[in-house]
This record gives sequence, C-alpha cells and structure tokens, in this order.
Amino acid sequence: MAERVAILGAGMTKLDDRKGGQKLDDMVFEATRAALLDSGITQKEIDSVVLVGCDEFDGRSISSMLVAAAGGSYLNDEIKVTDDGIYGVILAAMRILSGLYDLSVIVSWCKPSEAPVSNVMNMRWDPFYHRPFGLNHISTAALMAGAYLDRYKGSDAAAAAVAVKNRANGARNQNAHLQKSVTIDDVRSSAPVSWPLRALDCAPESDGACALVLASAKKTREIKQKPVWLEGFGWAVDSYYLGERDLADSPSLRVAAGMAYRQAGIENPIREIDMAEICDFTSYYELIACEALGLCGAGGAAHLLQEGTTRREGAFPVNPSGGLLSSNPFVAAGLFRAVEVYLQVSGRAGRHQVPGVRRALAQGSTGFCAQGNAVLILSAEG
Amino acid sequence: MRQRAAIIGVGQTPYRSHQNFTIPELSQQAALQALEMAGMTMDDIDAIVYSMGPSQFLGVNDPDKWCVDSIGGRHKPFMRIHTGGATGASAAQAGFCHVASGLFNTVLVVGADKVRECKDSQQVLNTIWDPFYERRFGLTTITMAAFQAVRHMHLYGTTEEQMALVAVRSWGNALGNPLAHLKGKISVDDVLKSPYFCWPIKKYDTCPSSAGGAAVVIASEEIARKSGRRPAWIKGCSEFANTVFLGDQMGGRAQMDFADSDILAMAAAEAYRQAGIREPAREIRVAEMYAPFTICELSMVEALGFCGKGESGRLNEKGFFNREGRVAVNPSGGTLCTNAIAIAALARICDGALQIMGLAPEGMQVENVRNVVCTGEGGSFQFHAVTILGADH
Repeated sequence: MAERVAILGAGMTKLDDRKGGQKLDDMVFEATRAALLDSGITQKEIDSVVLVGCDEFDGRSISSMLVAAAGGSYLNDEIKVTDDGIYGVILAAMRILSGLYDLSVIVSWCKPSEAPVSNVMNMRWDPFYHRPFGLNHISTAALMAGAYLDRYKGSDAAAAAVAVKNRANGARNQNAHLQKSVTIDDVRSSAPVSWPLRALDCAPESDGACALVLASAKKTREIKQKPVWLEGFGWAVDSYYLGERDLADSPSLRVAAGMAYRQAGIENPIREIDMAEICDFTSYYELIACEALGLCGAGGAAHLLQEGTTRREGAFPVNPSGGLLSSNPFVAAGLFRAVEVYLQVSGRAGRHQVPGVRRALAQGSTGFCAQGNAVLILSAEG
Repeated sequence: MRQRAAIIGVGQTPYRSHQNFTIPELSQQAALQALEMAGMTMDDIDAIVYSMGPSQFLGVNDPDKWCVDSIGGRHKPFMRIHTGGATGASAAQAGFCHVASGLFNTVLVVGADKVRECKDSQQVLNTIWDPFYERRFGLTTITMAAFQAVRHMHLYGTTEEQMALVAVRSWGNALGNPLAHLKGKISVDDVLKSPYFCWPIKKYDTCPSSAGGAAVVIASEEIARKSGRRPAWIKGCSEFANTVFLGDQMGGRAQMDFADSDILAMAAAEAYRQAGIREPAREIRVAEMYAPFTICELSMVEALGFCGKGESGRLNEKGFFNREGRVAVNPSGGTLCTNAIAIAALARICDGALQIMGLAPEGMQVENVRNVVCTGEGGSFQFHAVTILGADH
C-alpha cells in the first residue's frame, strides 16, 4: 500500500467464563476507554467508530444501538460490521485510506455466557437443507476435522499437540479464560464431543471485549505515539454449502493471505513473518490454517508441530497467547488476535511476549468451518 | 480520496410479498439487474458488501453467508454491514470506501429482506430496545414515532393534517414507481380517518412491511467513464450516532430535542462539506429519504437544511416538496410506501442514482437533476447516514 495506516493503541477486558456483573455496554466501554488511554487520545478526537458484534448472541435485534455510545459513537460517527471482529480493522483501514477519516476506534464484543450458543449457531443454517440436521458450530467443525484426519492419517496426534501447546501458552497469559496446562493424555482421554473432536480439541466459550485504535499516517505523525503499522490485509469468503467445499483445507484463507502478503510484499511467510495469532476454534483448524497461510505445504502442519516450530520458543510461534483453545469470545475472537499481535509487535505482551517480534500475522474467521477469513500483517517498521 | 467512485448499475426487485423466493434468490435478482445495467457479469466484480439489517424478520441468523454463492461471492472479499434501518446507506458507504481507498475498482453492494413474511415485525422491533429499561414499556418503532410527532406538534404547532399531506404526496408519487409496494390516490381525509396505531400516528402515517432485493455496482472513475452511461458520482457520505435511550436524547444534559433530527443534521453537514454544497435547497433537486413515518419526513427535511425548524409542515402544504416543487422529496414514494428494512436505505440510493443517471421510470424522473441527497435512519432514531450523489464529481 502506498499510503499507510497505523495502530496507535489497544484495550481489552479480561476473558472470562461469565462476566456476570457487566452488561454489554459496560464491557465495550471498558475496552474502548482502555484503547483510547493507551493511544493517548480522547473520544472527541476520533472521527470513525467501527463496531463488530452479533445481534443473535446479544439477544437484541440491533445490538449496536446499546453499545454505540459506549464505543465512542455518542454524537460521533458509527458503522457496524457483522462478521468477525478482525473485519472491523479492515473496514476502518479502508475508511482511512479513502481519506474520509483519520482516527478510528474498532471495538468488538461477545457474551456467550448469556446466549444459547448452539441454537444461535444452528439458526445460521438455511431452514430447508442444513438446519434440520441439527448442525451447529461443533458438529460442523467436527466434519472439518474428520475431513483433515481422513486425508492426513494420524494427524490426530498433531491436533492433540496443538491443544497441549496452546493451553500451555494460555497458562502464561493472565488475560486468558483458561490458564491451566493440559497433557497429551488429558486431551486424548477428554470426553468425546463429536468425532473426531474431544472436549480439549474444542475452544471454550468466553466473554470479553477488545478495541484497537487506527490512524492515518498524517494523524500518526501528529500524535507522535510509537505506532505499529498495518502493512497488509486481505479477506475472502467461501461457499456456504459444506458439500461444495474442501473441508480439509481453507481456500478462502489462502485467498485472504495471498492478498495480505501481496500488499506487504511477503513471498515466504514463514521466513519473513515472526509469529502469528490465529483462530484455532478447534485444534485441527490450527493445522489447516498453518497450511492455508503457506507456513508449510498441504499436510505439512504435523511436521511443524513435531519440530516445535510453532511453540512459543520455536522459530515461528503460533498463538503464544493461548489462542481460542484458551479463550474464545466468538465474534470478537479475531479482533483479540489483532490486539495480541499488536502487543507482541510493540513488545508489551507481558509474560507470553515472544522476543524480537518485528512483523506478525493475525487471522480471524467467520461462518461455519471458517467460511470467511481475514488476515492482517502488522509491522514495527515505520 | 485515492480515487473517485460512482454508481454505474442499479437493480431492484418489485417490493411486495415474496413467498416464493428466498433471500439468496432475491439478492441474486437484484444483483443481476445491477450488473446488467453496468454492462458486467459476476466475474467483473472485485468485492462484495452485503446489506443485511436485523435477521430476526427472516428467522435465519447471518443470512449473508447463505447468499454468497448466489451472488458470485465465492473466494472474493465479502463483508456484511448492519446498522439497523440505516444499513443500506452504511453498506453503500463501505462499498464507496472499498473503491475510494484504491484497493478495488468494482464493488457490488447488495442485500434483500423479507419483512413482509415476518409474522409481526413490530414484535421483532420491540427487541431492539434494552431489555432492562425500555423493552417492557411496549416500545416499538410506531410508539417511538408517536413521541417524535407529539414533540414536533408541541414545539412547532405541526398538525395531523400536515402529516397526512406527506402520505398523500408519497402515495401519489409511488404511482410513478412500478416497484413500489403501496401506491394510490388517497386524500387527507382518508389518512385522518384511518385507524390510530398510537396517537397521533395512524395507519397511513406508517410504512408497510415489504420484501425485496436491491443492489448497486460502485466503480472507480476509470471504469465509470468506460461504462457508456452517465454515472452517479458519490460526492459525500457520512453517518452519525446518538445514545440509544430516548430519555437521554432530550432534556437534562442532552444537546438536542427528539422533535428534531439533529443527528441527521450533523451527518448532512459533513456530507455537504465533502460535496461542496452550501445551499441545499438550491443545489439539491431530489431527496430520497428514509422516512418510515410521515412525521420523520417533516423533521428530516428541516435537518437537511431545506427549511428552518418547524417550517416543514407549512411548506409542504404549499407544494415545496412536490415532484415539481423546489426539492422533490421521495419521487419514488419513499420508505413510507416501501420498507424492506435491510435494504430500504440502499433503495433510496438506487432511486437517487437513477435520477442522476436519467434512468428513473417516466412517472418518477425529475428534470435537471444535478445533485441528490439520500438518507438512512436506524435504531432509536439514533443512527443517521447521508449520501450525496451528483452528475459531476
């Protein structure tokens, strides 16, 4: 990209199994306020607010009505994306690049503790063909895992290793929902959920909200905060119908990553990028995503795990925060990935900081079996 | 702006009940029409923005994902925008930013809604309110509009007859729009004698629940110039928000009054600034407005700067807002005659673009249109979006 967009600051709530004492607007306010303070700016200075939420999770038919003001929209700009939170970063970046806006908040939230999650998911299916099967986010993720396991025999061991790795990472992350390590035996003896997924192959349900502040290059120079640059972004969607998709792969993620890599001038991602935070809604999806992101060839993700490449101490850490297997705020999950990557690149990730991160990747997904995917590349270089 | 952007294709289905078509089908019908007008096929589109408001009217969550295949979205950038009733305007603005950012040259903005097939849309609309404070009062969009009406009547002496005239004009205008849901020659008396839904809002003061699809193709300047038609340039777009709580929108420390669409005025000021419009009533010939109740239109024409606060009722009586008047307001019949919520604000942009392109149906086309303002409104009269379309950029 010729003109660039910078990230000035971030904020997030603790991820919890149940934020009983906070309404949605309280959560959004906490995250937004933290992001503004982190950026050294006030609500009056921002001229763009991009909200990302999901009505059906929130039990409201236009949930942005409630949270808009808490997100900085009172007598101010407002727009809402209804995909994964990471799409908000993309829309805000395009708004800034178009010259209409200079300083944008992006905030996303989810409170699954108060939502009938399985019903919300099943209702996402068309009423004629898919819904009567009772499909939800777990059973569809299991179809995806099964397709991968069928193509790459023995990959269940690598999937279990992903769960062990990410839960160990989460144990170092004070913001994570689950902060307890697990062993391979724990994973393999955990309750069967939907073949081949066991309980510890699946992400929990976590409440949380997070926010980022994006700025034009011009505004960034004025504010003089040391920024992290958005070097590239890409997104794409796949077919709705699972039968028309290759579930052992993630083609829309390949397209999204290709677009982001082109913008950032990246040819060899595993060499040119230092780490990634991705939406591992199951242990298997981390394997699939590593391949679709071009970190290895098709079927090569198990090898990355064996070599320890994606461990926190490895050459290319994936999900040092613990990922979704440690905390899964559904709609907000991808924006949490972007916040984590921002903190890693700015060297402020705390106990799970990876040393020397200069350039990192964040990925988010939306829809069943990651129908839609989005990728951001963040860099310290100005 | 990295590059200019214009609408070069418009598509809409007829608005009525569509029992036999699903959302993917209605979206496809609108998309294909817009592509045909633009001289394109699905393969020519770089990215898609899906305009989808509350999904509860449909009973399918995230229905945009269901539509991906029918509108040629597979393996393309695709996102859904949802700002309640303002959704269509917000989606068009997002589409504009896709092009103006320099990242894409052709973007399809498309959506559909089936409010008509919902058993009780007002029951759904009660769930837009906060479950702790406001939902239990039985608030709906109709009762909300009644609050605005009584406030406008109290402050400015606006009458039920003046509101009725808005309905008479809109229904008459819709006779020239083959796609409009409701239309006809009605009298002020018909409106006044129609049943009260919530005083002073009567049946004819209220929009219908419609089903249908709408789409626009937004293109970069280079592609727009090659299209062989007059494009509708997007000259300005802006959206602003207020607090959700009606009680906080006026009185106390609020800076505004619920009678006035002050948030719309803020959005309009910014969009006019972008478009270089200083005297709206002189420079803008057509307004396609998201005014689902007669009172909304009276309040909104004031906020758009066509007249002073409290003057709209009187000017409306004088024909100021007729098709041949100073500013033709809703020559399509507007949202009062057709309201498929998720795309109602996009329909305003479709009808506005047709006026600029000179392609509106004969009974709807206004002469010498250089600038059009299109609006969208959502939530508790809380979100307002303004788009300025022009024959020149």
